[in-house]
Amino acid sequence: MDSVRKNKLAIFLFIFPAALLFTAIIILPIFMSSYYSLLKWDGINKGVFIGLKNYMDLFTSKSVGFPKTIGNALILAVLSVFIQLPISLGLALLLSKGVKGERFFVSVFFIPVLISTVVIGQLWMKIYNPDYGIVNVALRAMGLDHLAKPWLGNQKTALLSVFIPILWQYVGYHMLLMYAGIKSISPEFREAAKIDGATEWQIARHIIIPILKPVIKISVIFAVTGSLKAFDLIYVLTNGGPAHASEVPSTLMVSMIFDRNLYGLGSAIAIFIIFLCFFFAITIQKFFKAEVD
Amino acid sequence: MKKKILSLLLCIMMAASLAVGCGAKQENTQTNETNTETSNSSTSNGSTEEITLTLWSIATESDAFHPAYTKAIADFEAANPGVKIVHETFENQSYKTKIKSAVAANELPDIFYTWGGGFSKPFVESGKVLPLDDYFGAYQDELPEAALTNVRFDGKLYGATYTTPLSAVFYNKKIFEENGLQVPTNWDEFIAVCKTLKEKGITPIGISAKDTWVIAMTHDNLVLKSAGPEKVAAALTKSGQTYNDPDFIAASAKLRELIDLGVYPEGAAGLSNDEASAMFYNGDVAMFITGSWMAGSLQTDPENPEDFDVFQFPAVGGNGKATDFMGGATDSFMVNASTPHKDIAAKAAFELAKSISKYAYLDGAGIAAWKIDYDDSSVNPITKKIANFASEATSFTIWYDTLMEAEDAGEYLALLQELYMGNISPEEFAEAMANQLEQ
Repeated sequence: MDSVRKNKLAIFLFIFPAALLFTAIIILPIFMSSYYSLLKWDGINKGVFIGLKNYMDLFTSKSVGFPKTIGNALILAVLSVFIQLPISLGLALLLSKGVKGERFFVSVFFIPVLISTVVIGQLWMKIYNPDYGIVNVALRAMGLDHLAKPWLGNQKTALLSVFIPILWQYVGYHMLLMYAGIKSISPEFREAAKIDGATEWQIARHIIIPILKPVIKISVIFAVTGSLKAFDLIYVLTNGGPAHASEVPSTLMVSMIFDRNLYGLGSAIAIFIIFLCFFFAITIQKFFKAEVD
Repeated sequence: MKKKILSLLLCIMMAASLAVGCGAKQENTQTNETNTETSNSSTSNGSTEEITLTLWSIATESDAFHPAYTKAIADFEAANPGVKIVHETFENQSYKTKIKSAVAANELPDIFYTWGGGFSKPFVESGKVLPLDDYFGAYQDELPEAALTNVRFDGKLYGATYTTPLSAVFYNKKIFEENGLQVPTNWDEFIAVCKTLKEKGITPIGISAKDTWVIAMTHDNLVLKSAGPEKVAAALTKSGQTYNDPDFIAASAKLRELIDLGVYPEGAAGLSNDEASAMFYNGDVAMFITGSWMAGSLQTDPENPEDFDVFQFPAVGGNGKATDFMGGATDSFMVNASTPHKDIAAKAAFELAKSISKYAYLDGAGIAAWKIDYDDSSVNPITKKIANFASEATSFTIWYDTLMEAEDAGEYLALLQELYMGNISPEEFAEAMANQLEQ
């Protein structure tokens, strides 16, 4: 095996196909987008080179309103890390202990990840409907009529109403990651701790979670970058409205490119999303490394 | 040593399989090319071979125009043996994205549906749309020039239109009768009707502020009927008229007046157009301001179609008249400049437009853009009434989001939503629009 690893030709031959695909599908488009982001271009006719004006517009133009979308994406990231992941971790800990019907529950929590997002969007649209939606119907049935509101049509509630299904959908995904991680921890640790008289809480806190750290790190990175890229459910539920209340960078990008023919500005947003994702992925890596040291 | 040989062998095998893979692919494309070549040559040298034209449109099966399309295509195929039209339909909103990327990627079908005005301007500028002047001669007596203003660019004709939609106020006759209301003829009466309905606990007007073009249907009318058509056209096409003008501000203030009166259903900002129109069909709201296409749906969607009627949007003051109408022909067929069958595709575009104009009018789906030389006594009364409005109209102004270029139109719709939600005042709205248009 070592001889293969030392053979430069072999290394090249094995890596080449994947590297070629990766470059063509991911690296090249990034470079092309960064070039487009320097143009004033409608996507059809010839573009005009305008330097960094698109990037300046992102932060100065009131009609684009980009800073607010970054704010919204960060709110989603914070909610993901501090609400969604703890729930996933709790479920994973609970299920991995060997509850009755363990496999059944794992599948149930994972189902939302498997269902098409558009279907989930339609489902939640019905849940939030001001007239017959289950949320308002339940509130009215409890005599809380004053709390019933058009959830997706109200600027104050739209953002949170859109985030709840997003958080809900991916709880199962992170749970599965963590569940698999916990299952791979040797049961001897748990037994040893039990013999020493540790409670369930102490086992989880001092043994399982520290060993699970690499998995948690991956989950945090996925949750944060996923929040920055969030698009589909928001597009279906509110399309960023009302009046940009639930706009995130990717919905803004689509509306700039396809509704306003501002291909250059849209590309600038895309580049910015990529930059933010890298930045956070690296920062989180560093943070976890510092923890270990 | 053995291991080394083995690994080398593996490498060679992999490289070989890659090469084989590529080779096979090349062969495939080659055979494909020869295939298309043969089919091309056979279509050009003989009429025995079938010509297939692809048509893209938004007339999905639930669309009011779908039956007219189907009949028109059948007629055309019957009249032109050997020509087959493949009709592919897409949902309105996603079609806008689809058609733009198809133009950019050179993947247009032979004939495609599109909207005239600012929307198609970049397509025409890219040179990928066929000018139709050479083919129009045979039809110029039947298709009036007024229906072609939005598909002419730099004096050249690029599209064949088939319907002249215009916007009007649809209302529930039954609700009006039950509450002793008359059709309003001016703005004050209109407001009075809204107030009475509100007092009786009926939501006066349905609207969707999520699908922003529905707010535009009302706002466009208010602007047109307070500023007048010349001023509007000058401001929106950047011809020496600022948007920051008392007439425009007054129009936006009228929209705020309606919102503050509470004429719209609560939560309209979260309702789609389909949900909002369903409320109107169910009799939950008394009026709905939208394009004449609703006349077609009113025949099928409500339980009692005879409960509904239509009146023209009243004049609001200033330079506007009630007979100045929002609307005009913009739905059109354009022909791909690189289609191998230019002549027959151009002919098909006009023939289909002509037949769809007729069938859609008879179905009540739309107002005919082509001359009516057939018996139209079976057309439903609402559509007929709108056709009368059209014949008495003093001017047509196309929807502002079609009239303006995409960039300005996007901003207009986004600002309208802000105005609707009360985030900006009418003055701020006019100022922001002026800034956008002067950029």
